[in-house]
Amino acid sequence: MEHEELKSRVKKVVARVLKTEQSEIDDDANFIFDLGADSMQSMLLIAAFEEEFDIELDAEKAQEVQTISGAVEFIAANL
Amino acid sequence: MTNRAALHSKNLQTLFYPKSVAIVGTNKVKGTVPGDIFINILHAELNGATFPVNPREKYIGGVKAYKYIVDIPDEIDLAIIVFPSSVCNKALEQCGQKGVKAVIIISAGFKEIGGKGLEREKELLEIANKYDMSFIGPNCLGVINTDPLSRLNASFARKFPAEGNIAFLSQSGALCTAVLDYALAKNIGFSKFVSFGNKADISEIDLLYYLMDDDKTKVILLYLEEITDGPGLMQAARDVIEKSHKPVLILKSGRTSAGASAAASHTGSLAGSDEICDAAFKQAGIIRCDNIEEMFNIAIALAYQPLPKTNNVAIITNAGGPGVLTTDAAIKQGLQLAQFSEETTNTLKRSLPTTANIKNPVDVIGDARADRYYAAMSAAFKEKSVDGVFVILTPQSMTDINKIAEEVAKIAHEYDKPVYASFMGEADVASGIKILQKHQIPHYILPESMCKPFYTAYMFDRKIKRKLAEPVIFTDVDKEKAQALLAKAAGEGRSYLPEYLAAKVIEAYKLPVVANGFATSAEEAGSIAESIGFPVVMKVMSDDIIHKYDVGGVILDVNSKEEAEKQYVNIFQNVNKKMPEAKIDGVFIARQISAGTEVILGVKRDPSFGAVIMFGLGGIFVEVFKDVSFRVAPVSKKAALGMIKEVKSSKLLLGARGRAVLDVESVANAIMRLSQLALDCPQIKELDINPMIILEEGEGCYVADTKIII
Repeated sequence: MEHEELKSRVKKVVARVLKTEQSEIDDDANFIFDLGADSMQSMLLIAAFEEEFDIELDAEKAQEVQTISGAVEFIAANL
Repeated sequence: MTNRAALHSKNLQTLFYPKSVAIVGTNKVKGTVPGDIFINILHAELNGATFPVNPREKYIGGVKAYKYIVDIPDEIDLAIIVFPSSVCNKALEQCGQKGVKAVIIISAGFKEIGGKGLEREKELLEIANKYDMSFIGPNCLGVINTDPLSRLNASFARKFPAEGNIAFLSQSGALCTAVLDYALAKNIGFSKFVSFGNKADISEIDLLYYLMDDDKTKVILLYLEEITDGPGLMQAARDVIEKSHKPVLILKSGRTSAGASAAASHTGSLAGSDEICDAAFKQAGIIRCDNIEEMFNIAIALAYQPLPKTNNVAIITNAGGPGVLTTDAAIKQGLQLAQFSEETTNTLKRSLPTTANIKNPVDVIGDARADRYYAAMSAAFKEKSVDGVFVILTPQSMTDINKIAEEVAKIAHEYDKPVYASFMGEADVASGIKILQKHQIPHYILPESMCKPFYTAYMFDRKIKRKLAEPVIFTDVDKEKAQALLAKAAGEGRSYLPEYLAAKVIEAYKLPVVANGFATSAEEAGSIAESIGFPVVMKVMSDDIIHKYDVGGVILDVNSKEEAEKQYVNIFQNVNKKMPEAKIDGVFIARQISAGTEVILGVKRDPSFGAVIMFGLGGIFVEVFKDVSFRVAPVSKKAALGMIKEVKSSKLLLGARGRAVLDVESVANAIMRLSQLALDCPQIKELDINPMIILEEGEGCYVADTKIII
């Protein structure tokens, strides 16, 4: 999968879970600090990524991922 | 004061009295820490503006919210960070960019979880340093300032406490909420209330110095779980007590002495961390409390009432039993029942029924109403020998409880003498107790409980009237020589100094070591012994021999030059027979002192307080009874004499049961010199002088054996 396509799908998932506009999400946006994710939404994000990309993520490591670019890298490594 | 401490001093004023507060990471969800903190600030009616910061919300609680703190157009004095720990660094960085100087970091997930949390905490400090910010926390409940000029409730406590003159500082956030609830039930108000959590930046020491100059605070209470800078804490408490006459009460958890038994020397094994903590607090004038109840019992006495000038009290009661119980407790505590003058006795005789007891404790009899209490209290307050009054009440059918409480409050304000009360019971006396509490009359459910607070207040009054003694700095010591000896031993890979070298180290500090020398031949042994004077003791010096006596390596009562030469050879033969593999360096020869009493002095390094000095009597007093005392270095002469007198067996030195009075002054001098050595030579891990022989008054004392572990 192309990097740009992956990033776009990640942003789509984030926008859906955090109920925000995809266009307002920067590449370096932090889920908590910039997008206001709470702890429950952080968990939901991991589940949503797993569903979107049909992969299984290590929950502990996934929780350390805090940004869009970090999520893209992490998912790419798990595809 | 370090640069950082000076910065905190300035920033703490902003922190307690902010004109604008941003709550960074707050939300709309009630019942969560981020949500409740904002609600608490609004409810407390802060004397300033409030700005919620949340990445998603436009408004919170009807107040315009900002995505980032840097977006707020106004200047911000105080930021409260409630984001999860993973992004607190980002929030703090923006606070710095915004020019905020005071920050409270509520979030948990730092040092207390170790690993990554520790790294996060270090990062916070780096950011704070970069922008000259000061922060409280992380991992804390927050800060409350009840002063109407501020009315800051930057906490997630359930209620805003009443205004008062007691400051409470706590390392535990959970304890804070319990204390607030406890205080609310007892109508105890606070000036400042601070949960400082991990104290990564602002510590209890910075807060003590701030409160020293805080007009709203009269008494400072501190709950501590760990002491990271013992000497700093002691100095801060001393300054607060001496300069502002504010008592400092500390409740320190962790009274167990784990690890003491693993220590390598006598001093090490006798000095548990709690004993050292006790000694350090005493030295600094800190009032140590055992539990929350005791802390507040003492605090209200100190905060609400004048300090007693003497320990003479009058007890006024309407029940004989509680009067006697209180008398017993008072005497046991160290108080005295005032002796009434004839005038007072006559006044009481005229005012009270014939069945009343007009002597102290005054029993106004069970059917007493307010007028009888007033008459007795009035007479007691006017009595010159009375410096405090305990009022005890038991509820009878005719007892006008509320009226009596009003009279107690009224008369207390007319005299500059303390009055405490105990309205015994619960339901019937509740309204009377509320009246007492409202008028700041310290109230105790059990009348005996009045005694310790009164005694503590009396001792505090004595303490502030006399300046703490400054330690003496001896200029006749040879620090370089001691350092050189220790460095040489360390260079040789030794973990301890052999006795002949240890003796030289303490001699460099003019401790009175018995005349001694080190011989490496029989001839030398003879001439050294002759120059020292007889009798002498001779000891083998070998790194391979731990128990010298067991291998025939110690010879006592050597009385001539010839015998010294002979015993030198004998020692070698004895050792060669029992430990042929042992390498012998030589023989240590010292004057043998047969008279005198043995005492022990020691040095230990405490992780919180640094160099600690120990004193005790030798033999079973140390071995069996562990009858020892401690002080943190430097030790003043007054403190040294206090150490000697503090041990239970000290009477043996002071002429008990017809014994001669011994030269305790010379021991005090030795303690002070040892304290200076311990501070000058931090490479000494432990040091034992065991025994030191103390002779009769004017004849001095002598160190007979020294062990130094490096």
